[in-house]
Amino acid sequence: MSPNPVRDVSADREPLPAPSSPTTAGPKRLRFRQPVWWLFAYIPAVVPAAIVIAIAATLLEASHLHNFGAAFFGLTFNSSTNQFGMLVFIVGSLLTAIPALLLSMGIGLGIAIASTTYLPRYLARILDPFVDLLAGIPSVVYGIWAFVVVAPIFGLVLNPWAVEHLSFVPGFAGNSLSPTTAGYGLPISIFVLTLMALPITTLLIRDALQSIPKDLWESGLALGATRWEVVRRVSLRQGSRGIWSAAFLGFGRAMGETVAVAMVIGSTAKLPTNVYDVTYTMASFMFETLDAAYGNSLYLSALAELALVLLAITFAVNLVGRRLVAHIYAEQVAGL
Amino acid sequence: MATNEGPNERIDPADDLRRGETWGLRWRTGFDRWMGLLLPLLFAVAILPIADLVYFISAKAVPTLSWHVVTSYSDYQAHDTLGVPLMTTFLFMALATSIAVVLGLFGGIAAAEFLPERAAGWVRMSANLLAGMPSVIVGYFGYFAFVLYFGWGLSFIAGVFTLAFFMTPYVYRTADLAFSSIPRPIREAAYGSGAKPVQYILRVGAPIAFPQILTGVFLAMAIGVGETAPIILTTQPGLLVPSTVFQPAVFMTYLIWTGFSQPAGSVALTLAYQAAFFIIVVVLALNIVVRVVAGRFRKRLQGLYQ
Repeated sequence: MSPNPVRDVSADREPLPAPSSPTTAGPKRLRFRQPVWWLFAYIPAVVPAAIVIAIAATLLEASHLHNFGAAFFGLTFNSSTNQFGMLVFIVGSLLTAIPALLLSMGIGLGIAIASTTYLPRYLARILDPFVDLLAGIPSVVYGIWAFVVVAPIFGLVLNPWAVEHLSFVPGFAGNSLSPTTAGYGLPISIFVLTLMALPITTLLIRDALQSIPKDLWESGLALGATRWEVVRRVSLRQGSRGIWSAAFLGFGRAMGETVAVAMVIGSTAKLPTNVYDVTYTMASFMFETLDAAYGNSLYLSALAELALVLLAITFAVNLVGRRLVAHIYAEQVAGL
Repeated sequence: MATNEGPNERIDPADDLRRGETWGLRWRTGFDRWMGLLLPLLFAVAILPIADLVYFISAKAVPTLSWHVVTSYSDYQAHDTLGVPLMTTFLFMALATSIAVVLGLFGGIAAAEFLPERAAGWVRMSANLLAGMPSVIVGYFGYFAFVLYFGWGLSFIAGVFTLAFFMTPYVYRTADLAFSSIPRPIREAAYGSGAKPVQYILRVGAPIAFPQILTGVFLAMAIGVGETAPIILTTQPGLLVPSTVFQPAVFMTYLIWTGFSQPAGSVALTLAYQAAFFIIVVVLALNIVVRVVAGRFRKRLQGLYQ
């Protein structure tokens, strides 16, 4: 009997899977007959996880946690006596990131409400891309602009005004030791960080407000509420998850920002004594001092530990923030 | 409460106004109107800085630019020329983008098509974490892993790999998203008519997902070309275009980082402005292309669904 010239394709196929109930139908996954295909399919797919693990493992290996514990969370930083207390930088990061986050959340809320509620749609469509464009400007370009253009404004106008008029507020009274006239220090760092966190917070809040069902909006208006009252009592409550995620992701961005802050923070390893003072943040300190640490193994290990702490903070913050908006795995968010 | 109302009480909406509630009503509507006027002004907080920034950098850089500045490959520090940094940055970007595209594209497609759902969720989360990671940490990773442990030294190749790892999650996420969002009927039609996975990916999925993947690649490039920390921590600046991968090389952002605090009129500061100008032009161009392509893609996808 001559073999059938038409190849029997049914032998190549896997048997059909048992029909699943329509309610549990997810995207169907492919299976492979030959194990070699697994290599091509599964190994590239886990690349991001592998990179994350590699980064954490490398930093752990580089630090060996030689300097951890009380020495790490000390206030004294002096490389000539091998005292690497890193609390100054953690405090500096928080002192810049938290005010910047609050400011950018406030401005972001305002912009998002204006764009979704008050502006005519054609105007919102023209103006919204400008906010998104803020995310595209590189950090180092922000830095040089802030250093040359904005720092004199802070040093010659805003800081002296605040010293004169706000000195009754604790911390706002300047002293001769702090370089208020140069303009570098906490206020301009907060300004730059606010600008850099603004696109994330605005985008996520806008997304949250836009995803609220039209019915809720209309029923609110029909009950006699003004637009503002509907926004405050309906939209902001319904969209609270998105707004919280904006806060978390914006905080992660502000904590991790490196170069722009390094250019304007003043780069001095001390706790600020007033609100105009120079200090350091974790990221900018790590960036500027890696060269100096070369050859000193304890110094390098202390820096790697600081990197691990920053990594842990940004991981935790990003994890919570992303979980809150897990349903929007959208291309817009992918851009941030 | 309705039960407390006497049977003879008049129910008239105008009662509110007669009892003096006009103040509350006026206050509420007036507040709403003021919000409508004031909140849009906050857009100025975003638009004024970006306008001033672009204007300032352009005003400083454009008068100093000439054909000679961009094409001369001599020592850039001595002659105030950008040929070497431009060329080296192009090499950096070309290599790093290639690596990131290979890793991200294969990975994203595999995660969308092959990885079990639970594992895909974990990997997506790690891609998000990687994209949210501070650039200085990626730079530290590159320094400890490539420069010290691999022994590559502060070299071109260490910078390329660090930058590539920084760019990978952006390509990965858009590739994953593009393939995940292909309508199910199309997938089922392809597999139902006997396509093998590779055939489906190349002949059916790729043409649909291509524009979106392209936006991801452009986005990664726009982010990569402005990155400073990953490159500076892993690469020593060189005065010439590197001839081997282990030589020092200069990246555009390095010029800004070294020049920003120099006195006005100095060569370093001029170079910094010029570099910032080129970076802004590239980044804005890439962003605009991304927007245009993404807009067309959305229209196309809408056509697919209908």
